[in-house]
Amino acid sequence: MKLTVNGTEHEVDVEPEMPLLWVLRDELNIKGPKYGCGIAQCGACTVHVDGMAVRSCQLPVGDLEGGVTTIEGLGTPERLHAVQAAWVAHQVAQCGYCQSGQIMQAAALLDLNPEPSDAEIDAVMSGNLCRCGTYPRIRAAIHDAAQKLSEA
Amino acid sequence: MQKSVVILAAVSIAGAALAEGALTLPEEGSISRADGQAAFERIYEVVTHPRCANCHVGEDNIPMWSGPSYGEARPHGMHINAGESRIGAEFLPCQTCHVTSDDFDTAPHAAPRFGIAWQLAPVEFEWFGKSRAEICAQLKDPERNGGRDWRGLVEHLEHDASLNGPVAWGWSPGGDRDPAPRTLEEHVEDMALWGAAGQPCPTD
Ligand code: FES
Ligand code: FES
Repeated sequence: MKLTVNGTEHEVDVEPEMPLLWVLRDELNIKGPKYGCGIAQCGACTVHVDGMAVRSCQLPVGDLEGGVTTIEGLGTPERLHAVQAAWVAHQVAQCGYCQSGQIMQAAALLDLNPEPSDAEIDAVMSGNLCRCGTYPRIRAAIHDAAQKLSEA
Repeated sequence: MQKSVVILAAVSIAGAALAEGALTLPEEGSISRADGQAAFERIYEVVTHPRCANCHVGEDNIPMWSGPSYGEARPHGMHINAGESRIGAEFLPCQTCHVTSDDFDTAPHAAPRFGIAWQLAPVEFEWFGKSRAEICAQLKDPERNGGRDWRGLVEHLEHDASLNGPVAWGWSPGGDRDPAPRTLEEHVEDMALWGAAGQPCPTD
C-alpha cells in the first residue's frame, strides 16, 4: 500500500490493521512520533493527517485517507515552524519524550484557532500528557507562536 | 487477529440483516397500545445504556465515560469538551483520537471508533440522565428528532447501521465494553412496533 509522509510517497507491505505509528517508526524509520501508550491516552504519537492532529497509534493504516505530516516535516532546522521556534525560545522541553506530540498538537490547534485563550489551550492540550509537567511553558510558547503567526 | 475476524463477521451479518428498508413495517394501528408500551420500555433501556447515552449529553457538550473498571459514568477524561459543534471543532476534534474505521475492534481503554465521524449526537437528542417521559416526548417530537415520524426513525436506525455508524457500534463496541441490550435487529423492530402502536408514552 502507498502512503505519503512529509511530501514523499512510500510503498509499504503491511497488514491494513497495523497502526500508522508502527508503519512510521518500524517500516519507514521515521522516529519523531513517539510510542507512549498505544491507546490514545498520552498524545506522544500525534501527527497530522491533512493538517488535522491524529493519534497515529489509533489509526489502522488501511483507514488512512490523506497525507501524513510528522514533526520531521513540520519545519526544517533552517526554517523552523513558528511553534518549534517558540518551543526553543521558551525552552519548553524537559526530558523531551512528549514534545514531538505536543508540538504537532499545538501547531494543529493554532491552525483551527489562531488566537487561543489560556482556557482553550488547556482544553486542547490536556490530551497530551507531559510527565515532566512542562504545561506552563507549553502555554506561554503557544501564545508566543500565535503572536508570531499573526504578524507573518 | 482471530478476534477481529469474528467481530468483523458479526458486523457484516448485522449489516446484511439490516439492508435499508429490509424490515417490513407493521400497519399503523395494527399493534396494541400495551405492546407499543412494552416496546418503548425496551427502547428506553437501549437509549439510556451507556453505549448510547454517554454521547447523547446536554448543552455542556461533555461526553461521559463508563465501563467495567470505571463504575458510575463520569465526564470524559482529558478535559474533553466537544463544543457546540458537537465534533470538537472548537477544542480538540473527536476524530483526533476516535478515528473513522469499519473495524470496531479496539483495545480496552483505547479510543473506540466506528465507520463515520465520531461526534456527540445533536443537543436536542439529550438522553443522558433523562426520564422515560422526557425521552419518549423527545423521540416522537419532529422538532427534536431530526424531523422524523416513526417510519423515519426506523429508516434512520437502518441507515446509520448500514454505514457502520454508532447504531451498529452500540451492539459491537469492542474493547470489553458492555454492548447495548439485546440486538440491533430487535431495537429496530421495537422502534417499528412502538410507532405502529401510535408511539404511546409512559405518561399518556
Ligand atoms: S502512543 Fe498514541 S496516544 Fe499514547
Ligand atoms: S518533557 Fe518529559 S514528558 Fe514532557
